[in-house]
Amino acid sequence: MFTLKVAFRNISRQRKRSFLLAGAIAFGMLVITIINALTGGLVGNIRENFSHALGGHVFITGREFNERGQVITKIRPDERLDQLLEENADRIQAFTKRSQALPSLIFGSKQTMHLVYGVDFHEEDKLLGSLVVTQGSLDQVLQAENAVILPLPAAERLGVEVGETILIKLETLTGQHNVGELVVAAFVEDQEQFGLSAAYVSRAYLNSLLGLGPHEYQMLNMFVTDLDVVEEFTRTFREGLLMPGEEQEEEEPNVTVSVGGVPLEPVPRQERITRWEGTRYRVMNINQIMEPVELAVGVLNRVGLVIFIILLLVTMVGITNTFRMILLERTREIGTMRAFGMHKSQVQQIFLWEAVLLGLVGCAAGLALSGLTILVVGNWPLNVDPSLQFFLQQGRITFRLSLNDLILNLVLVVLTSLLAAYWPARAAARLSPIKALSSHT
Amino acid sequence: MAIVELDGVKKVYYLGKAEVHALRGVSFSIEKGDFASIVGPSGSGKSTILNLVGCIDQPTEGRVKINGTLTEGLSDKELTNLRHKTVGFIFQSFNLIPVLNVYENIEFPLLLGRDRPSRKEAREWIEYLIEAVGLADHMHHKSNELSGGQRQRVAIARALATKPEIVLADEPTANLDSKTGQSIIELMKKMNAELNTTFIFSTHDTTIMSIADHVIRLLDGLVVEDTKARAAAGGLS
Repeated sequence: MFTLKVAFRNISRQRKRSFLLAGAIAFGMLVITIINALTGGLVGNIRENFSHALGGHVFITGREFNERGQVITKIRPDERLDQLLEENADRIQAFTKRSQALPSLIFGSKQTMHLVYGVDFHEEDKLLGSLVVTQGSLDQVLQAENAVILPLPAAERLGVEVGETILIKLETLTGQHNVGELVVAAFVEDQEQFGLSAAYVSRAYLNSLLGLGPHEYQMLNMFVTDLDVVEEFTRTFREGLLMPGEEQEEEEPNVTVSVGGVPLEPVPRQERITRWEGTRYRVMNINQIMEPVELAVGVLNRVGLVIFIILLLVTMVGITNTFRMILLERTREIGTMRAFGMHKSQVQQIFLWEAVLLGLVGCAAGLALSGLTILVVGNWPLNVDPSLQFFLQQGRITFRLSLNDLILNLVLVVLTSLLAAYWPARAAARLSPIKALSSHT
Repeated sequence: MAIVELDGVKKVYYLGKAEVHALRGVSFSIEKGDFASIVGPSGSGKSTILNLVGCIDQPTEGRVKINGTLTEGLSDKELTNLRHKTVGFIFQSFNLIPVLNVYENIEFPLLLGRDRPSRKEAREWIEYLIEAVGLADHMHHKSNELSGGQRQRVAIARALATKPEIVLADEPTANLDSKTGQSIIELMKKMNAELNTTFIFSTHDTTIMSIADHVIRLLDGLVVEDTKARAAAGGLS
């Protein structure tokens, strides 16, 4: 521990020099920490916002054959499903049951096709909390059975105002045409570019138009208490809902892309269809939907890592040069210590400890600065384009730094510092005591 | 009992293509408890002898025996251990570790070896040494807060920290005024008497060498006078 003590004291010997070196390390740490935390926050927010918009982290859809031999998307009251929900109640934060359709919305002479979710507004607090209302009020949807929440672009295409009535024209599950009336309750910002442009109506009303019973639905969406176990949770439901003789499908998302990342029932390929009895379930989770986002964020993180490594390499050159200078400055001191019985390895240790301490001090300073930056930026309400709200949480940038990233960065800094100091430390250890003592420094 | 024995020691340094014969065949021995002075003009080989006795250098030819151990053929590790156990150093320019205070400077040789005394024993011994060199009031001062004389006192205490058999002092008074130099030599003499540690110091100060009980005079890399050898020879004759 003597070597550590001397190394610690040596750090404070040339304060300005140590400050500059640690400062360079701190800057690198600040950059990578901010990038990691920012991307972590972005992914978290996108996942969160996706989850709110889609109504869960895990999505279950059901398919069955109707009397005409068509495959329809429908979940009936099912004991197996109820049992699974009961068994996993402690892992489920909330669940919602939704219906969906891709109808034409008509107002006067204008019409547009738009995804419509049938939701139970009384159970979907998270959804209502995540919607950014630009006009109208969400209260109305809780009261009027046929109230609709329209995304702003859809409203603009239709030229409709809040309070006006539009027509909804769709096909029932059996393929018949059906028309209903919707009263526009509110306009909301949407994230059409992220494939999440959806209108929301009461599930009971949409069910009546689709030909579903009041207790039937098409998607069971669940919010889990711990996203870390979402895969295992998904597997539990997949296995639990397998029909006798049914093989588990591959976990490829197979999501209908026509409405973006929304997990609509895929169009079955004809050659795969062999008639079955009862309901077949498909269980998906948010991770499958987030894969492309995480891929993009992964690239950003890698770019950050490359910048960090470049910064570290520049710092490494600085550390090596500084330690070479230190070696010259302390030659006689090294000779004295060697004369009194310090071994070569102990001389080396002093240099290496100094490098490690510098690295750690730099990391600590970098983390402190990052914390400060995160605190300031994270509390700054941003008035950005509504489409960017999808990356934010209640209009604010959020930061999430994973412990793994933090440890990786710390290890990288310490290793780089060690590597940078290794050669000067080796040279110091190899100094012969007699030469070191006869040095003029 | 001889604690230091040099037998036919030669040392050649190479400065580029030039050979510098620092020692040309030196033989002498120093007894345990001696207060020995190696004297001679600059370039006579005083420091070279101290370096060889201190095991920080090896002879080109001849044999050096320290406390019964032949230094020839020892590895760096073995020489380091031998130095740590047997030799303490006092340098002309003090060579204190600037980041350590008085107590820590004296303590540091104790922290290097494997056989360390207990914390309590070490503390008592260091405090005794600090008291003995008259720096009790400066125990927590850094070296840059001390005068030259005080620094050399710390160096003396540090040299004695591991209770070595031999303390080597290379012109310990050269950077001090004569009065302070005299007090340093007296302190060394006192420690020599109290601890029976062998002190070997190089000097060309004639007043200081008069305190020594064994004087080895060098000239151009050769021993020209060895008072103990002469006395022994006189005794025999």
